[in-house]
Amino acid sequence: MSIEVLLVEDSPGDVRLTQEAFREANGAIHLHVASDGVEAMAFLGREGDYIHVPRPDFILLDLNLPKMDGREVLANIKNDDSLKTIPTIILTTSNAEADIVKSYQLQANCYLTKPVQLDAFEDLVKSINEFWITKVKLPQQRLVG
Amino acid sequence: MKSLLKQKVQLAFGFALLTLLLVGTASYHSISVSDESTRWVWHTHEVLSHIQDLLLSMESIDTGSREYVLTGKESSLQPYYVSIQKIEEDQEAIRSLTLDNAVQQRQLPALAKLAAESILRTGRIIALRRNQGPEAATAALASGPDQQVKAEFQEAAGKLQSEELRLRELRSTKAQRYSSESRIFLIVGTLFGILAVAAAGWSTARDTAKREVAEKKYRGLLEAAPDGMVVVNQGGEIVLLNAQAEKHFGYRRDELLGQKVKRIIPEGFAERLITDGTRTAAEALEQQIGTGIELYGQRKDGSRFPIEMMLSPLESPEGMLVTAAIRDITTRREAEALLALKVEELNRSNVELEQFAYVASHDLQEPLRMVASYTQLLSKRYKGRLDSDADEFIAFAVDGASRMQHLIQDLLVYSRVGKRGGELVGVSSEEALQQAVLNLRGAIEESGALVTHDPLPRVMADDIQLTQLLQNLVGNAIKYQRPGVPLVHISAAQEDGGMWQFSIQDNGLGIDPQFFEKIFGMFQRLHKREEFAGTGMGLAICKKIVERHGGKIWVESQPGFGSNFRFTLAAS
Repeated sequence: MSIEVLLVEDSPGDVRLTQEAFREANGAIHLHVASDGVEAMAFLGREGDYIHVPRPDFILLDLNLPKMDGREVLANIKNDDSLKTIPTIILTTSNAEADIVKSYQLQANCYLTKPVQLDAFEDLVKSINEFWITKVKLPQQRLVG
Repeated sequence: MKSLLKQKVQLAFGFALLTLLLVGTASYHSISVSDESTRWVWHTHEVLSHIQDLLLSMESIDTGSREYVLTGKESSLQPYYVSIQKIEEDQEAIRSLTLDNAVQQRQLPALAKLAAESILRTGRIIALRRNQGPEAATAALASGPDQQVKAEFQEAAGKLQSEELRLRELRSTKAQRYSSESRIFLIVGTLFGILAVAAAGWSTARDTAKREVAEKKYRGLLEAAPDGMVVVNQGGEIVLLNAQAEKHFGYRRDELLGQKVKRIIPEGFAERLITDGTRTAAEALEQQIGTGIELYGQRKDGSRFPIEMMLSPLESPEGMLVTAAIRDITTRREAEALLALKVEELNRSNVELEQFAYVASHDLQEPLRMVASYTQLLSKRYKGRLDSDADEFIAFAVDGASRMQHLIQDLLVYSRVGKRGGELVGVSSEEALQQAVLNLRGAIEESGALVTHDPLPRVMADDIQLTQLLQNLVGNAIKYQRPGVPLVHISAAQEDGGMWQFSIQDNGLGIDPQFFEKIFGMFQRLHKREEFAGTGMGLAICKKIVERHGGKIWVESQPGFGSNFRFTLAAS
């Protein structure tokens, strides 16, 4: 069974790195990409071009996005009854205390800082896989609207 | 406070006056008494004179009667009749004059009796002559009792006389004594009075002279003072000023004397505070005195300039005066303004610089991450699959990117030391060391290093930065090791002045003295990259942290004998 993950990230370089890392960690992961906040909301709302997309099992969300930034996206997700049950993981370069606090206040499920070194990044992705996919129980909502 | 001089003068003259009064009273009294004594003496004289008259009268009676006996002429009896009258009068006079004298009074009846008898006998003889002729009368005269009576009378009168004489002597002496007492009183008193007045006069003159000298000195000082000096009385009028004040305000002395000080210092001295009705002038003055006040002075031409004024009280016979030292602080104000401006510019510049360093480092990280990550990915994915040159090229690229990342990270840390630092509070340096050691546990395990420490104090610090500081220094101590077990010992000793001096002693490579300063600079390394990894920022960061905490950092070392890094922090 494939696992659907929505990655909201504007840097193509980072997108590719993340894809490569997840591919190495777990081949069953299906990584979808939205490159800004507006696209992310459209994807989650399954609007327009995104009518047939699956509902993600969890979301990897960068904070600094164009158009609608990550914090707004997070707030929107957690205020929406049908979306708030999707675990939303902040994955960003920032390690500023203010960002961390704000994210948790907006009810992010957890906050991760992207390591600078490649191998550390790969290890982090492996940890995400291990924790959120093999250990954590995710709500089975795929069948529900 | 009443003028001391006035008091002294009043006292002295009062004293002199008192002395004069006393002398006057005493003299008056003496003279009165003396006067009276003299009167009593005169009194005695009178009595004696009457007694003398009595005796003479008796003689006269005797003579008169004898003459009549001889001549038979009535005219011879003239004195006789007069004397009888006189005897009566004199006796009465004596009686009234000696009323106060019991002794005399007692004699008088006897005397009167004798006088009366004498007169009677003489009368009888006269009658005899008249009636019986000269021979009978002469015969009676010759008979004894008449003479006897006469003699007795004279004796009695004599007694009276001697008593009066005695009294006269007594009273005379008394009078004399009083007289001389008066004289003495007068002389002594006058001398005393003169002395008192002289003393008062001399004291006054001396004090006045002293005061004049003091005043002259004061004026001299005032004139020579480098600041403008203005003396003001309680009415707010200028009573004195010096040449410097003339210069400051652009007035001539005579134009300002007597004028209200408000003319040159519009806000006045204590006036400002007096209008705040809860104080009296004295209180307001007391509060201002001793502190420098910044006001504005107004020149003759109406222009204003900033001044600093120091007030001090001055006592004078005219009451409390205030001396004001006035300094033109125009240049000082300008300098202060300039300084403030420069400081602000500097601060702004510093802030900009820090912001720049932060932003630069932060924004550089992102693209650098891309380079580093992808070169590493390349290296991983294609190692051995391309030719060996490609491997080498990629290796260099990876290395370069990696170093750049480290540099930028350290630069970021460095720029954050001031910008993001927390407030300095009391912190346990021992706990900070423990955290640093925890962070270094990998390196410690790997090198087998032994890290020891003495009890460490509480200091005023940012705990995160203190941990970073210790981590860098201990990390260096472990890193730059000689063969063998690296030993690191941390201790602290208190200096005078309340600072703690920390020491991190290692047994590593040591440092050449010529580099003691250099190593604390940015990006400074003493070794090749192949020998030791590092960005050359570690000690620069340490230095910035220590200096931000108000301390100093330095190193003592000898190549081959380890190093001792020392820094100071304020005690908590």
